[in-house]
Amino acid sequence: MTPYLKMQNITKVYPANNLKANDTVNLEVFKGEIHALVGENGAGKTTLMNILYGLEQPDSGAIYLNGTEVRIGSPMVAHQHGIGMVHQHFKLIQEFTVAENVVLGMEPLRGKLFFDRRQAEQTVAEVIEENNFHLSPAARISELSVGQMQQVEIVKMLYRRADLLILDEPTSVLTEQEIQRLFKTLRYLAGQGKTIILITHKLGEVKSISDRITVMRKGEVAAVRETAEVDEYELSRLMVGKRIMLDFDKEVGFCSEPILSLQQVTAARKHQDRPLLDNISFSASTCEIVGITGVAGNGLSELEDVISGLMPVSSGTILYNDIDVTHMSAMELRKTGFSYVPTDRLKRGSSLASSIRENMIITNHHDYLTRGGLLDGKRIESHVEELIAGYQIDGRAGMPIGTLSGGNIQKVILARELEKVRDLVLFAEPTWGLDVAGSEFIYQKILDVRKRGAAVILISSNLDEILAIADTVIVLYRGRIVMKRPVRDDAVLSRERIGEYMLGLKDDFSAAIPAGAGGFLERAAEEGGEGYSR
Amino acid sequence: MNSGEFSIPIIHNTVSIMTPFLLAGIGGLMTELAGMLNIALEGLILIGAFFSVVFAAYTGSLMLGILLGILTTMLFAYIFGAVTLYLKANVFITGLAANLLAGGLTTVLSFYLFGTKGVLRFEGLPSLPVLRIPALHGIPVIGDLLFGHNILVYFGWASVLLAWILIYKTPFGFRLRGTGSNPEAIEAAGLKPGNYQMAGILISGLTCGLAGAILTLNLGAYVPNISSGRGWIALVVIYLGGRTPFGILGASFVFGLAESLSNYAQGYLDIPADFILAFPYIITVTAMVIVSIIKYKTQGDSK
Repeated sequence: MTPYLKMQNITKVYPANNLKANDTVNLEVFKGEIHALVGENGAGKTTLMNILYGLEQPDSGAIYLNGTEVRIGSPMVAHQHGIGMVHQHFKLIQEFTVAENVVLGMEPLRGKLFFDRRQAEQTVAEVIEENNFHLSPAARISELSVGQMQQVEIVKMLYRRADLLILDEPTSVLTEQEIQRLFKTLRYLAGQGKTIILITHKLGEVKSISDRITVMRKGEVAAVRETAEVDEYELSRLMVGKRIMLDFDKEVGFCSEPILSLQQVTAARKHQDRPLLDNISFSASTCEIVGITGVAGNGLSELEDVISGLMPVSSGTILYNDIDVTHMSAMELRKTGFSYVPTDRLKRGSSLASSIRENMIITNHHDYLTRGGLLDGKRIESHVEELIAGYQIDGRAGMPIGTLSGGNIQKVILARELEKVRDLVLFAEPTWGLDVAGSEFIYQKILDVRKRGAAVILISSNLDEILAIADTVIVLYRGRIVMKRPVRDDAVLSRERIGEYMLGLKDDFSAAIPAGAGGFLERAAEEGGEGYSR
Repeated sequence: MNSGEFSIPIIHNTVSIMTPFLLAGIGGLMTELAGMLNIALEGLILIGAFFSVVFAAYTGSLMLGILLGILTTMLFAYIFGAVTLYLKANVFITGLAANLLAGGLTTVLSFYLFGTKGVLRFEGLPSLPVLRIPALHGIPVIGDLLFGHNILVYFGWASVLLAWILIYKTPFGFRLRGTGSNPEAIEAAGLKPGNYQMAGILISGLTCGLAGAILTLNLGAYVPNISSGRGWIALVVIYLGGRTPFGILGASFVFGLAESLSNYAQGYLDIPADFILAFPYIITVTAMVIVSIIKYKTQGDSK
């Protein structure tokens, strides 16, 4: 049986740093198969797929489709060959409707000159119906959930009659339920004879969805396996080259003094019915990691902004070591000893054009002044060198931070924030976009901070991360806390269970229970009586 | 003062004064929608003004003058676009350079070809044909508004409708707006965002060429720096008009009216001349402030 797609001896060298991103890589994918392409960040998966999709040209090697050699000079050519790609970061136009986004570039015409919107909506509706998606062609992208946006990207490819779909890290932004729906869709499409390549580094998903697996490591193919024949541990060994730790040692210390507490914090914006944050109360204590999760758009980023002092609250109080910090600016908060690792590490966490050295002292350069009030170069230098060595940062002090990889940028930010931790750190999406080894480094650091006795608030949409290291889980839905439980309560806290809260299917704190207060108490008791804190 | 007498020349003048704003605004809208603020409009108008009158004088034909003037402006726009898009230069720097270059180039050529850096008069140049329908001309206000203007004014009006169709009814406009919104989405669709930005720049060249032609061919002469800030005001017009063709039509009417009033007031009202001359600019500043206040107020809804 000839493979539907065969990539033979693909080599790609980036001359800028003489990096062999792909070194004589071979990939075979059969028709109707779901093929997982796994590997760490920088293993060369994305480069290989960019070559297949025409975004990059290989230095040598050949691509065969159905046994015929093809040259793919651009994404346009890839489309003509029936190859479509769903990127990790959606390439959608927010102001346009679903139908408009789908037909962009291949618009149906009326009278050879005019864009036929009605025809576009009709055709797109047909594609949506045929493949069991839940989308309205006339809806604007800005009104959709992340899962729906991804559906639009898939519909876009199906509209282009793609037979080979490449999905780059498709589950990284989805909830458990959305992931299940996506997998259902992918299985359906494979059943229809579509061929699917899934780029991922989440091993659990690889096992549950794929038929075959190609593992890449450092630009080379490390192994090709039938999914049924391998387990997650072998996969991780193939990916990383060593057995990685999936369980963390989470010893809990005997300290539990509240450090930061939010009391009925509400943040609302003018002209909006629903507050962005609605009556949020919780506290973080010493030696505790409070994990806060939810689907994007349900208040996670607003909570990050409120705690870090970047967004004003409408009502409520925030106490930090019994001092009212509700209306403190970010700078005043910093002075009280607050450390913060923001979600947006490129814009908020660092200044890309500045050097590693400057980024490392950006929040505390006042501590490095000479008596004359100038920056003390020598002291800064030794401090910075120490951090670079201590955090294993791959770069020199004078290099602009923008030239580093995402993982190294995050290490610089960690080094800066964690070196001066007093008793409170806020981490927001700390491992977003990082590979297994990079994430693990960060988890270790977070656990270290807790061991030193600090309170940690971990805002993250990555459930695995929350379940792996948090002591308490809080779920936000539409700006409200709908769940608050200790993680040790393992029997109740499965991914699926939390997913139900994230999607608003469950709510421990709903005030609007039809049966009245009795029903509420009954239910609270049934759910373990946990977290009736308000 | 009789209000009837007052209004007729003002409205008539407003229509001819607003046309350069309108044309430059429509052109600038095209690059604006493609995600580029075109600050070279001023220079483009100047190039159009100089070359259309010079070519008209050389060829003795208004038609050829306008045509060649537009082509030259588009060529100038192309160079500006190529440096910005293909050589990846900063659009603000290249836009400023284009404006400075336009000023320098017209002065040098004026001196080289005609031996003067001052006003160039072209005697015997035919004046722009005017659309006259005497029967309809008599209708109050509307007659002044619609008839008795030179044909380039009607080009300006046509450009509004054409731009509207182009932007909202054709795949080109659809992709142009997409480019401004998210160029990566355009790229992912297998299209080149740069092509749409370049198209926007070339259309700016076309409309600014026409806008310049109106300024000089109306006079039959070229005055140094005749664009005198119209390209900058056109940028304001684009925003004041809410980035839509018909909005730009309305906004340029406001500016046309302001300038027309200030011209009129110079002869009739006892207000310091400096203040009157500053009137269009005061309107500009006021309009910008109002627009940004409105934007600020509505921000809560848009997000």
